[in-house]
Amino acid sequence: MSIHYTFPPASGYPLNRCLYQLKSDDAFRERYLKDPEAALREAGLDPERIAALRALDRDKLLALGAHAYLVFMASLRLKMATAPQAFERF
Amino acid sequence: MPLVAAFACPHTPQLLVRPETEDRDMVLRVHAAYGEVKRLLEATRPDVICVVAGDHVEGFFLTSVPALAVYVGASVSGKFDRYRYTFDVHEPLARTVLEQGIERGFDLTYSQDLALDYAFFVPLHFTMPEPRVPIIPLFVNVYLPPQPTPARCYAWGQALRGILDARPERVALMASGGLSHFPGTDQYGSPDYEWDRQMLDRLVAGRGSETVTLTAEELDKAGNVEFRTWITLLGAVGPAKAHVICYVPS
Repeated sequence: MSIHYTFPPASGYPLNRCLYQLKSDDAFRERYLKDPEAALREAGLDPERIAALRALDRDKLLALGAHAYLVFMASLRLKMATAPQAFERF
Repeated sequence: MPLVAAFACPHTPQLLVRPETEDRDMVLRVHAAYGEVKRLLEATRPDVICVVAGDHVEGFFLTSVPALAVYVGASVSGKFDRYRYTFDVHEPLARTVLEQGIERGFDLTYSQDLALDYAFFVPLHFTMPEPRVPIIPLFVNVYLPPQPTPARCYAWGQALRGILDARPERVALMASGGLSHFPGTDQYGSPDYEWDRQMLDRLVAGRGSETVTLTAEELDKAGNVEFRTWITLLGAVGPAKAHVICYVPS
């Protein structure tokens, strides 16, 4: 059994889809940054998942079926969007 | 025509968009190594670069997860952070790789429309020779289990070599990925350098074919799920001995 990157269960699909959008969909990420609750409701997430995502609670998200890489990159993209000065571009 | 060159490179995003936490000198050392690859690519004058990389759930989401795929279009584009990029694709050769690959028993997925992941962009950003040459994006699933086995990746590399050798184009192969790292996991700060060093020793000795006995579990445990792209390349180069330009633990 793989321990780091595991099969994403179907129950985690809405969450993974949302993380994927935060990672790769600039328009969705902007909507999220403006109004997180509304964006996450639009994504069809329930209150438990919305709370976990808003807190970027990695352990909780993984327990809910999120893929580790998507959690990582969605979190990073949010950080890059809110603190771009912390990054140097080559 | 036989391959003119084969390289394995990282695509670490911090080489492109460096957070304050990363050491600048270390990043510049890797940039210099990419410069060496670019120089070698210009010296070997490939007509096309076949890039074997793992998609980071960017071009392919859970809507469809191909084990092995070929991009067969005229050009391919993507974005990463502030970067927007487009590469010409060698469509005739890409189509040959797809058709001959299927003919040889590899049930390849193909795409004519996807977002090109940064795993392709980062090494090409630093190594694309001048004048530019077209690419062929070759995908190996690395992050969404179950991934193709190392033995299958190696066999695909062997088949790819057979297909390319029968063509007139001068082809360079580039594997993108690795080495040991664990993005998004508890072990992100502790790559398995020992695994990497032992593997590099094997490759320098021309023992790349030994990678067929690796298991999915071992690659996952060592933070080397992306090593499947290297294994594919090893299948193509066979017993050729590797030269290590740069290995910088970070």
